[in-house]
Amino acid sequence: MAERLWGAEAGGAVYRSRDPVRNLRLRVRIQRVTAAGPLPAQASPPPPPLSAPRGPELLALAARASPDARRPPDEEEEAEVGWQEKLFSQFEVDLYQNESACQTHLDRQYHKEILKLEKAGGRKNYRIFTYIDHDQFTNLEEHCQKVTDSDHEVPSYLAERMANVRRRRQDRKPIEANSLKSKIITWEPSEEFIKNNHVINTPVQTMYIMGDLGPYGKLGQREYERVLCTIKVDGNGVITVKPDFTGTKGAYWIELDRQKRDLWKYTIENASIQVQQEEEEREQRVFRDLYSRHKEYLSGLVGSEFEMTLPGTLRLFVNGEVVSAQGYEYDNLYVHFFLELPDHWSSPAFQQLSGVTQTCATKTEDWDNVAYFCYPFTLEMFFSQENESEDCLPQWPVLYFEVLSLDFWQRYRVEGYGSLVLPASPGLHILTIPTWRPVELGTVAELRRFFIGGSPELEDMTYVRIPATFKGERLSRFGFHTETTGSVTFRLYCLQQSKAFLETSASRHRMQSVLDRLGGFSQQSSVYNVLEAFQKARCRMQEARESLPQDLISSSFYTVHQTQEP
Amino acid sequence: MAELHVIGQLVGASGFPQRRLFCKWGLHAGSAWKLLEGLREGQTQVDDPQAGDMAYWCHPIDVHYATKGLQGWPKLHLEVWHQDSLGRSELLGYGFCHVPSTPGCHALTCVTWRPRGTWGERLSRFWLGGGPQLLAPDPAYAADRFRLRTEAAGTVRLQLGLILRHFERYGVQC
Repeated sequence: MAERLWGAEAGGAVYRSRDPVRNLRLRVRIQRVTAAGPLPAQASPPPPPLSAPRGPELLALAARASPDARRPPDEEEEAEVGWQEKLFSQFEVDLYQNESACQTHLDRQYHKEILKLEKAGGRKNYRIFTYIDHDQFTNLEEHCQKVTDSDHEVPSYLAERMANVRRRRQDRKPIEANSLKSKIITWEPSEEFIKNNHVINTPVQTMYIMGDLGPYGKLGQREYERVLCTIKVDGNGVITVKPDFTGTKGAYWIELDRQKRDLWKYTIENASIQVQQEEEEREQRVFRDLYSRHKEYLSGLVGSEFEMTLPGTLRLFVNGEVVSAQGYEYDNLYVHFFLELPDHWSSPAFQQLSGVTQTCATKTEDWDNVAYFCYPFTLEMFFSQENESEDCLPQWPVLYFEVLSLDFWQRYRVEGYGSLVLPASPGLHILTIPTWRPVELGTVAELRRFFIGGSPELEDMTYVRIPATFKGERLSRFGFHTETTGSVTFRLYCLQQSKAFLETSASRHRMQSVLDRLGGFSQQSSVYNVLEAFQKARCRMQEARESLPQDLISSSFYTVHQTQEP
Repeated sequence: MAELHVIGQLVGASGFPQRRLFCKWGLHAGSAWKLLEGLREGQTQVDDPQAGDMAYWCHPIDVHYATKGLQGWPKLHLEVWHQDSLGRSELLGYGFCHVPSTPGCHALTCVTWRPRGTWGERLSRFWLGGGPQLLAPDPAYAADRFRLRTEAAGTVRLQLGLILRHFERYGVQC
């Protein structure tokens, strides 16, 4: 029924239940351990407890089962209490018996009930009784609860408010939707509105299970009343039981601080009627039905298929943004970029592989001139390696970009070149790429750039990395002068899709690089295969050796040892 | 079919020249995507920061998408507006960003820009407010942005929590 959320050592525990709270039943068992007189004879060995042994206190509890004639009959008591079930104490019986003491409607009702009980043959409970939500005690207890050991503790302002609200409005109607629409703010909140909204107002019902721990024959004295258990239930099905049901921890103890020093112990058990097996199954079935119907509904809306890649291909899907450019000399910047796909890479026909941002005037932020672009682009490409025996590593696509500025007279200046290799791992990558621009030596060139605009440009932008036309062994840039300029920030969300991920992710844990996961064509994997085969063979050999007769092994020990050595 | 939950909030904006800001936002996804639950667009309240530069909205975003493919991953477009003391609204910035694709919690910053008018328009904007706006302020517009002349505006902060479902079933790693 209920699921335990958390609990303190001996404090309360919180449970949640969807079931109606009227099904809640508790069984409380109270027992005096040390009587006023000498210890009751317990020297005789106790019979073995019925349930599994749970602790030394429980052994003593089990001893109670042994017939002990010397003990008075009320030394122990067990009661099963339902939710908000009223069990009268001796005190209450005495009080409400004469009608003149009854003042409120509740008192008169109690009077009637007690009379009825008397006719039926007296009440069955003696020591255990309850205070329910409507009783005066509940109010008082809540109001006078102390949280510190200070003698002069005054209830805080909030506590006063909470007590005044008396969070009991179980049948509160939900706020109408249309009234919410018409009024978002209450400009003049009423007193009642403030009362209800400034403190928690989840309706809570409280119930106390009490014990009358007075000496034998002197029941009905208020000073001997002790709270055994407090149960609170709020409108959302949260059940707080304080202290918790006695489970593995053993019974709770109460020591009466009187001259006689009585020691009592008690247990609280959850005695709610458990749900029937078939009912539970039916409930499960209903839920399963609901979920499957919801799933059908979803697939009816969207369709159950998903676009897949061809076997042996890797799909790289990049949601990218040109975020900003910062630290450039001139204003009104724009970025032009394009993607270079190496061998074995392809992209769908509709895919745009280049882009130009808008021209953006910079603003100053932290001593830097920044231009904001937030230019989103999507790149989709496929990698497929037809020939597995090729031993060269596959290359990853590269994004080349240049930053240009456009001045008042519509003149262009190259501000910087840069490139980035698309990240090989899936996920978010924020990359800030520094750039440079080629310069001509000499003042004249700089003057020309300043006054007329225009500056040396790269003929082929792939020169930023290794030029596409390059064929030699060493790339020399000797004699090429550049100047550091600003940087461009990219934000890339990379997604990878491949059928190979399906097979590997199920059997093996994540591996380091994509190439390994694609499997089959990297050299590494072939080495692994050899190692794995060797391990298997070795295991087989060891198994075979263990199954051999002992004397055979001892005679051939030397040879086996030899073979194992390398 | 894979599913995507985007749960988060539009936290606020900073770096704008004016205070009293509000934001219109919208989500835009491709044709393979279907919005199952939640609101696709909205508008925040006007927030006037009393101290500091950052206006806080804490406007909730909670959408549930189902998709047949990766193409057209949802994008977010933002418009930051300023409401002046006369009750006029004036555009301060456009921002576009992708909804993240990795599951987890993301603190995003989205930079914004606004169209820059002619010299005369800028002068009148300085004294009177107003200024040019985009005709079609949706992410599809990003394709031919080169026509635009803009100037950098402030940044918008978002917190988005992403929950992905069934993507790994189709071999997608994100």
